[in-house]
Amino acid sequence: MKLQVTQENLSRALNTVARIATTRGTLPILSNVLLKVIDNRLSISATNLDIAMTNFIGSKVSKEGAITVPARLMQDFVSSLPSDIISLELDNNKLKISSGKYQSVINGISAEDFPIMPAITEGKNWVIPAPILKKGLQQVIIAASSDEARPVLTGVYLHTFNNSLYAVATDSYRLAEKNLINTKETIDLLIPCSAMQDLLRIIGDFDGDIEVTSDDQQVLFRVGEIELITRLIEGKYPDYRKLIPEKFAVTATLPHSELLNITKVSSLFARESAGSITINVDDKDQQINIHSIASQLGENTAAAEAKVTGDGNITLNSRYLLDALHIIGSENVSLSFNGKLEPSVLRESGKTTDYTHIIMPLKS
Amino acid sequence: MQDSLWQAVLGEIELTVSRGSFVTWFKNTRLLRHKDNILVIGVQNVFVKQQLERKYNQLIADTLKKNGAEPERIEYKIYSGATLHKKTDDDPIVLESAQSGARTANRPSPTTLTHTYRQGLNERYTFENFVVGSGNELAYAACQAIASNPGTKYNPLFVYGGVGIGKTHLIQAVGNAIASNNPGAHVVYISTEQFVQEFLDAIRYKKNTDFAGYYRSADVLIVDDVQIIAGKEKTQEEFFHTFNALHQANKQIIISSDRPPKDIPTLEERLRSRFAWGMSIDMQTPDFETRCAIVQTKAHAHSIDLPQPVVEFLANLIQTNIRELEGALNQLLAFCEMRELDPDISIAIGLLGSAKNRPKHINPKQIVERTAKYFHIPLDEIVGPKRDKDIVVPRQIAMHILRSELHLSFPKIARELGRKDHTTAIHSVEKIDKEMALDADIRLAISEIRAHLYA
Repeated sequence: MKLQVTQENLSRALNTVARIATTRGTLPILSNVLLKVIDNRLSISATNLDIAMTNFIGSKVSKEGAITVPARLMQDFVSSLPSDIISLELDNNKLKISSGKYQSVINGISAEDFPIMPAITEGKNWVIPAPILKKGLQQVIIAASSDEARPVLTGVYLHTFNNSLYAVATDSYRLAEKNLINTKETIDLLIPCSAMQDLLRIIGDFDGDIEVTSDDQQVLFRVGEIELITRLIEGKYPDYRKLIPEKFAVTATLPHSELLNITKVSSLFARESAGSITINVDDKDQQINIHSIASQLGENTAAAEAKVTGDGNITLNSRYLLDALHIIGSENVSLSFNGKLEPSVLRESGKTTDYTHIIMPLKS
Repeated sequence: MQDSLWQAVLGEIELTVSRGSFVTWFKNTRLLRHKDNILVIGVQNVFVKQQLERKYNQLIADTLKKNGAEPERIEYKIYSGATLHKKTDDDPIVLESAQSGARTANRPSPTTLTHTYRQGLNERYTFENFVVGSGNELAYAACQAIASNPGTKYNPLFVYGGVGIGKTHLIQAVGNAIASNNPGAHVVYISTEQFVQEFLDAIRYKKNTDFAGYYRSADVLIVDDVQIIAGKEKTQEEFFHTFNALHQANKQIIISSDRPPKDIPTLEERLRSRFAWGMSIDMQTPDFETRCAIVQTKAHAHSIDLPQPVVEFLANLIQTNIRELEGALNQLLAFCEMRELDPDISIAIGLLGSAKNRPKHINPKQIVERTAKYFHIPLDEIVGPKRDKDIVVPRQIAMHILRSELHLSFPKIARELGRKDHTTAIHSVEKIDKEMALDADIRLAISEIRAHLYA
């Protein structure tokens, strides 16, 4: 293996990929990255056996070959080099790296020992614009569960319904659903939330199309020169649609910033009661107010004007409400609910109504 | 039969590949089918599948051949049972709200979209299959009282005792009983090690509020092996706050440990006093009759009726650790099942060795040294003439261990500790036997020295 690359390209690729390499596993080689030259391109890969990531970078290749080297060392070394051309040369499992006056040799482990990177030979292909997927994932990921006892809830469920692609996540106390794009495909993927977080990191400011390929066990996302492949979670996602109420007895619509503000204020008094705040919606006064009590500290009532239909109150966890408000981007929001123990629904109000966030009430 | 083929293959492969590779690629595989010259191997994920298919296929085929199986084709299939997670296909999402009316909760409980929470509990551990004997009847009674009235009686409950005498079984049984009596209750069982790990992750990923909120929303918190928390200051602090939040709200807390709170080193004083606040119960080594009952119960669980001599033999063979007792029983049952024999006393003796089977790698000198080291006294003093109390007790303990572990004769024991008269040894062993029943410190010392010996 012999090639030349720019420091910027190599460093960026290593920074993207090396974080996947893990030092905690049972297999020491998983803390290495695989450098491989084929078809005049350098590919850098790492895997933790749940996901695998490969970044291709353009380079001037003189000889093909492959080697694995410790990810952290390689990443730290290359990022400290000056921005210049870097030459890589492989000699008997030793990788010589030279750039200007810097010379180093890293002892590698043969690429033969590296796990075979998964590939999807036959599968379904579709594309989605990166900004749409990014926004959608950011808005649902927060609701996913981290409780491994119910694996299906630790995933983001990407699926089609009535010719639309949806992303959904829930931890059983709250649920977020985003309508992403219209499509004629049939898609049904339950993807580990951690892989989606890695995907978000890769997407960054990329604004092209993301290519997605999947079979029934794994899914591959191609973001420009970077490929991310992850296993799918086995199991059937709960039939969540029947949980979203169709009609509401009470709805309040108000500017996003006002609801956020009164929720924030009330949450200060809700710390010792598990974040419990009571929301009152008043039809007569066209007003929404939030009440919270801290037995030692005092209590608080904050109100805001709103467009209201129906009277009622509900007790929610202020943290869940704040989380939801932080990821809603619209100018106005609407909060709707029925009974005290039935789900409450937060929606963006205005032209776009493609985001639904359900929060289960607290029982006081 | 199919499994034994695959076991043999795995056994051989384990010797040829590195340990890391074996654990990563082979350990959780299973033989799913072996029929019509096609062999199907179950693997836990696609990474393993590809690795076995492309890299280890030849090795597997060769090893199979050596073991007398020559399939035309080997297939690899992803097999969900290979993972630890139970299947959740039929887990419907339903609206359920936590019950809080019955108990005096002054905090609102979360309602959930899903089914009852029984986080971390193993449903195998129930009161029904717990064998009650003299050593654990107090603990059992307290746990039953808690199960019917969580949060009001004995809060917190602190259960301590040696390795493998059923602490985990008992505290999980409480959790299971509460979860089935109150279908909305949020019962959380966690080992302290897991708690520490999650706390570290919470700090690392800055999700501290999630972490705290999760534990503080529990209706019943069960913490196993709490002695591990010793020396971990930040974790202790977090645990302290969790403890307070739950105790304030009258939520039940159950804690287990291998020693009483006062003996856990570097435990913060405020935690120590809180642990001892409700009720501390010492679980003791089961007596002979209880051990017999345990063997019978476990055998019945496998629908096998063991003859009384075999039961007594097993109960005599392993006296302190129920887990080992169960292991010995399983070994016997597996052996008999494979050979299609009825278990009897001669098979048991042949397989498990005589009751006086002394461990070969331990010699009397090591025991004396270990004991001296444990009590921080020089070796020449423990075998010397001094008769100060702080030397006599360790000396007697050393004699007791020599007797119980190596079954040495009394004159020999006396010689090992530089005594002339064997009656000294007899007296010492009897004295420690008596004191063990009364004094937790001595029990702890003996179990720790023993643990060091076999470590």
